[in-house]
Amino acid sequence: MSLFPVLVTAWALVLLVPVLAGRLGPLAGWAGAAGLGVLTVVVAAGPASSPEPVTEVLPWIPALDVMVRLRMDGLAALFALLVLGVGAVILAYSTSYLTERRSGGFYALMTAFAAAMLTLVLADDLVLLFVAWEITTLCSYLLILRVGPKGREPAARTLLITVSGGLALLAAVCTIVVRTGTTQLSVALADPAWGTDPVFAGVVAVLVAVAAMTKAAQFPFHSWLPDAMVAPAPVSAYLHAAAMVKAGIYLLMRFSGAASAAPVWPWLLVTVGVVTALIGGVFALQRHDLKELLAYSTVSQLGLLVAVIGVGTPGALLAASAHVVAHALFKSAGFMTVGLLERRAGTRDLREIRGLFRAMPWAATMIVLAALSMAGIPITLGFVSKEYVLDAALTASGGPAVLAAAGLGVAAVLTVAYSARMVVPVMFGAPGELRPAAGTRVMAGTITVTAVAGAALGPAAPVLDRLLAGSAAASLSVPATGIDGFYAWHGINPALAVSVAAIAAGAALVAARGRVDRLLDRPLWPFTGVGAVERLRAGVIDLGRATGRPTAGDSPARHLLVPILLIGVGGTAAVALRAGDVAAAAGTSRASDLLLLLLAATGVGAVLAARERLAAVLAAGVVGFAVALWFYGLGAADVALTQLLVEVLTVAVIVLILRRLPRGFPRSRGGGGRRTVVRGALAVGAGAAATTAALAMTGWRGPSAASTWFLAEAEERTGGSNVVNTILVDFRALDTFGELVVLALAALVMTALLDARRPQPLRVLDDPAAPVSDPRANAVFLRTAAKVLVPFLLLASVYVLLRGHNAPGGGFIGALVGASALVLAYLAAPSDGAGRVRLPFLLVAGMGAVVAAATGLLGLADGSFLRPLHADLLGVHLSTALVFDVGVYLAVLGVVVAGLNLLGAPQAEGAEPLSDGSDEDRASEEVAR
Amino acid sequence: MILALTIGILVAGAAYLMLDRSYLRAVLGFLLLGHAVNLLLFAAGGTQRRGEPLDGTDPAAAADPLPQAFVLTAIVIAFAITIVMLVLAVTGRAGDDTADRDRPAEHPEPRR
Repeated sequence: MSLFPVLVTAWALVLLVPVLAGRLGPLAGWAGAAGLGVLTVVVAAGPASSPEPVTEVLPWIPALDVMVRLRMDGLAALFALLVLGVGAVILAYSTSYLTERRSGGFYALMTAFAAAMLTLVLADDLVLLFVAWEITTLCSYLLILRVGPKGREPAARTLLITVSGGLALLAAVCTIVVRTGTTQLSVALADPAWGTDPVFAGVVAVLVAVAAMTKAAQFPFHSWLPDAMVAPAPVSAYLHAAAMVKAGIYLLMRFSGAASAAPVWPWLLVTVGVVTALIGGVFALQRHDLKELLAYSTVSQLGLLVAVIGVGTPGALLAASAHVVAHALFKSAGFMTVGLLERRAGTRDLREIRGLFRAMPWAATMIVLAALSMAGIPITLGFVSKEYVLDAALTASGGPAVLAAAGLGVAAVLTVAYSARMVVPVMFGAPGELRPAAGTRVMAGTITVTAVAGAALGPAAPVLDRLLAGSAAASLSVPATGIDGFYAWHGINPALAVSVAAIAAGAALVAARGRVDRLLDRPLWPFTGVGAVERLRAGVIDLGRATGRPTAGDSPARHLLVPILLIGVGGTAAVALRAGDVAAAAGTSRASDLLLLLLAATGVGAVLAARERLAAVLAAGVVGFAVALWFYGLGAADVALTQLLVEVLTVAVIVLILRRLPRGFPRSRGGGGRRTVVRGALAVGAGAAATTAALAMTGWRGPSAASTWFLAEAEERTGGSNVVNTILVDFRALDTFGELVVLALAALVMTALLDARRPQPLRVLDDPAAPVSDPRANAVFLRTAAKVLVPFLLLASVYVLLRGHNAPGGGFIGALVGASALVLAYLAAPSDGAGRVRLPFLLVAGMGAVVAAATGLLGLADGSFLRPLHADLLGVHLSTALVFDVGVYLAVLGVVVAGLNLLGAPQAEGAEPLSDGSDEDRASEEVAR
Repeated sequence: MILALTIGILVAGAAYLMLDRSYLRAVLGFLLLGHAVNLLLFAAGGTQRRGEPLDGTDPAAAADPLPQAFVLTAIVIAFAITIVMLVLAVTGRAGDDTADRDRPAEHPEPRR
């Protein structure tokens, strides 16, 4: 089986296992374990044993050359096997560890974690790599969050640290793609720029290192890992052994060939790694909680890995590969044992567990095996891999290697000490009470698998030779023949001497453990890592609050201030870019334009000066007419007609609104003067910027290519001679389609709003003596005219719709004419009730969208959504574009009728309680307040 | 030149109205801004050529049809949005004065 089926199967498990868990409960984990186990075997037998890297490609975003590229070389094979194999073991462990019935969410996240890690290590595309990286971040966040209330804070802190690392990786990915011009990882890593451009190599090296260090819990980002311990044992085991933190190690190894060209890379990695290894070791010696001890030991071990990757020789990468395997095995065994202890002894405190060897001999043996491997006692796998690590540091040359050798030697002492501390005190003494072993056999079994493998692979080291050598070769992009073999015994050499010395010193620390405990049993720093992250988080939240404060209110002015300022800035920028061209282009003005300018300016002035709402609305109508005349003058009869009709309808709808508002505008109360000055200054600035911007971009070029093409081709291609209409319904019908969906939505929004919230009451002047108080007598002329005009306008609207393809008109204008007829009928009626249009407006608007969509689907017959079909019937040219225009017509009509009906009704019926249910809702709302 | 001045006046009026306390005035400002932007789209097509883009017009003198199509849809969409905004003006509290709601709403983060 090749790579894609493997990956797809892994993701399919994410769907399958939770579904099974709904029926089987925790036992569904067996399906996941079996799935991952089979994949492990398939990968090991297939692509992982291929001598050449296996690559596969599927298009993803071909326009950007972003592909789902998969590639399995030695390094990917090592991590893929680890992810799948350890994942299978841990899922099997979970079947007996979990007791809750609802385990679907847990399994979904664990399998997704495995699938995302697999995607990460197989990705040969930088974008895919980044996406997989972020999915692992989210999985770990959700797994910690799942614990309940006590998991919330640690989950947030974990997310904060790992996401900031994700941002560093994103920056690295962008830099690499821009510099090397490819998103293919293997090609980008082989780019000559790494060697020739030290700035590029240095920047990317630091970004990648930071990203990896956040995930791999390196100082100063280490605090999330012990923090994340609130998660249940299987999650911790996977997180520490094969997933999350190993993603960081994988990234460092993947980049170690290319990034080591930057001098900062070895120093950064070795320094951070050594510091982390040492403080992790000291902290581990301080803890009494077994799980915490293990968590800090992971921090320390990862520091060792990072440092040895920093050394960067083929031997160092071989050592890193070996130690990754060793660590995965002994650490998963350790965490799973702690889970078992927690279940049976009810505690994981070192000071409370006693007599483990007598009480649970099997589990005790296994934890001893794991601890031996962790401490590097001969001849476990942990010993062999540590020999390689020390050997790599001792034999390499250069400053970083010396630092690594010294630091890792001391770290080895600490490792021996905390490993012993984990087992020695709990083995002997009188055993406490234990819960029955029933149901924990599977747990014991899986622990056995990993612990025994971790110990036995030491003597059987050559089994791993091919895998590890391949991994080291792939990380440095060198042939595997240049890598030393992997075997158990190196003979007497300096590394062995250091190992023996470390074991002796460690044993001394164990012997004096009472004194060490007393020495360390106090805070070592004035602050804790968790506290620092917490302060950082509070700072981020405060920053967000401060950023949002200027717009934290519901006054429109607050929010509109920013766009208005932007208009000013944008206009100024446009002028700055074309300095010198602020004069108008020749031939863009005509004498008649002056009249239009005057009309518009008068209208705007009148709007500003109006003290009453009705006056302001009428003045705004004047501006609208001036703009319509502008459109007509600029050669756009269609647009002018539309503008004119919209203006009429807008005024009609606003008048309906005005009945519910006070007559005058609210008076300003104190401080108004200063506010007016500021507003005036802003307004003048925005206006000046808009004018100069318009000047800068108007009339400096000939007809656009699109214009020429449309004018020349439109009629021949569509059979319509009104170019604007053909653009609307033929060429850019998708835009128009989107627009009429917006219209239908507007009708829906209005209905929903007035259903949910009672409109303000009418403010009708109750004065029987007023000359306008009798609607019948008052509207007599209008009513008489309406008798003729309404049918005429309705007919005209259909005519305008039909002729639109060839002459000014079309669906928009037709619908607006029809709507004017309805408005006229409404205004002529003696009462609100009589004037209502009995039209199911939501249905009409919805039908508009449906008709347009159906016409568009017909176009698929000719190969494309919304492509019009043409036919000549009895000498008349027919086109489905006309049917599309009918859709436009219906949508526009629906919106106008919605406004008319909803606002024109004396008391919108929707505002009345619809049923008992809504009454109850309202009551419960009251209570909630 | 004159079109640019018209655009400037419309934008200035729009900006002034939008910063007003009365919600209705802000809506009117929105209307004016819509006019200004529509005219700006026309300006982008060039205003030397002002012939109707219809059959029989000399293509060299015909106006650019693309901005016209854009503006046509823009007008109708702006109309629909205006109606929705107007509905908002009369739902909820009496009147449309927004000033006393200016104060920043302090929602202290619930302590967890």
